[in-house]
Amino acid sequence: MSRTVILRILTGLAAVAAAFAVPFYLDGFWLQAGLFAMSAAVGAIGLNLLTGATGQLSLGHAFFLAVGAYAYVYFGSEPEGELGGLGLPTPAAAVLAVLAAGVAGGLLSPIGGRLKGQYLGIATLALIFFGQHVLFNATPVTGGYNGRAVPPLELFGFAFADSPGLVVLRVPFGALERLWFLGLAVLAGAALFARGVLRGRPGRAMNTIRDHEIAAGVMGVPVARYRAGVFLLSSMYAGLAGVLLALAFQRTVPEYFGMLLSLDYLAMIVIGGLGSVAGAVAGAVFVSLLPQLLTRYSDALPLVSDPGTGGLSPAEAARLLYGVAVVAVVLFLPGGLAGLASRTRAAGRRWFSPGSARRRFSPSSPETTSPESTSPETT
Amino acid sequence: MRNLRSTVAAAAILALAVTSCASEKATGGAAPSAAGGDGVTTGPGVTADTITVGVMTDMTGPYASFGKTLTQAQQLYFEQLNAAGGVCGRKVELVVRDHGYDPQKAVTAYTEIAPKSAAIAHFIGSPMVMALKSRIETDKLLTIPMAWSTNLLGARAVQVTGTTYDIDMINGVDFLVKEKGLAAGDKIGHLYFEGDYGESALNGSVYAAKKLGLTVVEQKIKPTDQDMSAQVAAFKAAGVKAVLVSVGPRQAASLVGVALAKGMDVPFLGSNSAYSPQLLATPAAPALLKDFYVATGGAPISAPLPAMRKLVSEYQAKYPGEALDSGVSAGYPAAAIVGEALKKACEAKDLTREGILTAHRARGAWDGGYGTTMDFSLIDRPATRATYIVKPDKEAVGGAVIYKEAAVSGLAEEYPVPVG
Repeated sequence: MSRTVILRILTGLAAVAAAFAVPFYLDGFWLQAGLFAMSAAVGAIGLNLLTGATGQLSLGHAFFLAVGAYAYVYFGSEPEGELGGLGLPTPAAAVLAVLAAGVAGGLLSPIGGRLKGQYLGIATLALIFFGQHVLFNATPVTGGYNGRAVPPLELFGFAFADSPGLVVLRVPFGALERLWFLGLAVLAGAALFARGVLRGRPGRAMNTIRDHEIAAGVMGVPVARYRAGVFLLSSMYAGLAGVLLALAFQRTVPEYFGMLLSLDYLAMIVIGGLGSVAGAVAGAVFVSLLPQLLTRYSDALPLVSDPGTGGLSPAEAARLLYGVAVVAVVLFLPGGLAGLASRTRAAGRRWFSPGSARRRFSPSSPETTSPESTSPETT
Repeated sequence: MRNLRSTVAAAAILALAVTSCASEKATGGAAPSAAGGDGVTTGPGVTADTITVGVMTDMTGPYASFGKTLTQAQQLYFEQLNAAGGVCGRKVELVVRDHGYDPQKAVTAYTEIAPKSAAIAHFIGSPMVMALKSRIETDKLLTIPMAWSTNLLGARAVQVTGTTYDIDMINGVDFLVKEKGLAAGDKIGHLYFEGDYGESALNGSVYAAKKLGLTVVEQKIKPTDQDMSAQVAAFKAAGVKAVLVSVGPRQAASLVGVALAKGMDVPFLGSNSAYSPQLLATPAAPALLKDFYVATGGAPISAPLPAMRKLVSEYQAKYPGEALDSGVSAGYPAAAIVGEALKKACEAKDLTREGILTAHRARGAWDGGYGTTMDFSLIDRPATRATYIVKPDKEAVGGAVIYKEAAVSGLAEEYPVPVG
């Protein structure tokens, strides 16, 4: 067994151990931000399958997130007053919500199959406006502008909620701590599945469609069917992210599922690195955590004054820094964060094993962002 | 291979050891409430020498200017409070978090500051407050939302100040009928935002219109719409005798400006969020100065009240050259509501959240000298039903003067407020 493999396994284990230790040490802010990041990561993996791997631009991702979130609430809530609900067991509601997002994607997949690239982007743009209109006006299902309370998930009698109380290793386990582990499991599952798709036959077909549609067709790839299929798959990922998001929010907020959310998702996959699972996860963490961290800790930065005392406020400084970070990533890291990771790894390998210096000129350059360059420890 | 196995085992043991060793969170789940040395029972956000009060504001989103003046006015209040000795010998410290009108950021920021705050002195944005309402209620964290829709009522921990939008509209329609010559059978237009603000206001206008024999011509728009030409045309075609305006300042300016240009000479009555003094520097100013009124539960900052005069001079001394808008006249009293609830709770020697809430809700008639008497014991009804009619004025501080003193119409008195 080579040293690099052992190293990888060790890093992987350390990452898992760290992820498990988080709820025992960090406070609610980190857990809440982390949960949003995990849900964003699931959604971004889905969008990356569609946009990064297949080259289909989608601006409608927020719509499918909304379908997932609201479908979970509708299926899982008991009817109450003028609000409808099916009162199903919550795990069933979660599965049905993902399927509902899939159905919504399936209804649109004929469009997804025929249009390519930016044309699909324009078509899906309409979805957001349609979705917002429905969220605000289909009050019996969506709760209108009030939104609806999200029923906590209950898995085999274990509720992901604050009550009944639970203390693990003397640490009180509330909804956030419990959801953290659920989020980890869902994210790991979503990442593994996407990695399987990308590494297998479908992944190669998708990449070929992205790089050269005609060549793909000539080689026998059913282009339209693949495009439709990946559109459906990506909408199911968005639905899953929506369910996780609803659980983290504990209430659905119609305003949230707008244009900006879709743009955030595009930013995630571009910053993280197009076409890879690790890239999507890194980008999601970057985009959802950085502004929060900057806002929280910006009072420690130089040139920043207390809010309300004039001058540059922490919130404004956070916005500026976030903008600079995004521009820097786009300018200096062509492969996104995933590209940066594989480059550092390659550099590290050259540094640590002197005998492998000649491998630098091997035909498989380590800088490609092919699915192979993604590693399990970052997922 | 054996080497690897032992490494894995070592890593697993290490992980377990790390997990079980001392964590700050490891309280064993005990309640953190305890009695301090001075016999005062304290809860989250209260230590031996400080009381932390949170602020959830918007400094980078659509309400950035409002958020800034609100925060500054509240900082002024708590500085004065600390200079006068604080509460229970403790200094009050503000923790300000900006959510930029993004529910996700608001939820994260709330999760961060709620465990270490004793109250929230202002919380901008009803979508954000709604997203957190049930958690605020569970946390028993006294919160003053800076939004006035009826869906915010009904929670013991959430104190909507003044009137709600529907009450303002009922009093406003009553004003139009009594003083602007509207009569049964007339049509009134109502331009409103999709969402809780507009729809709360619409509830009020529809109720009042039904009682007074008027018909409401509805025009619903989205906050992203800017040009109101189509809506003016629709109102004109319907022959409305007055227009109610429950949108943002920008849309209100477009509406009155276009209406004036098209020769539609009717009175306009806005909700308190439809007007901002900055509009008087735009081309819409003549139209606004002509026949535009604002129905609001809070007195404008130009009100001839000693407390308001004092606030204006102190605010101008601390923040020279800065605009005095409704953020000041709304923020300072809101801070005072929280500050006085803390003082009351201190007198009862109970600075737990429950103690603060009890102290706050025990006050049946509070006005603090700011012109609006509020009953905080009402949980599922607005704290007051009296509405000022205010008119834009170029010369006045804050760009508006009182046109008609606060009054409760008979209609508003008997109006059943929808809750939740």
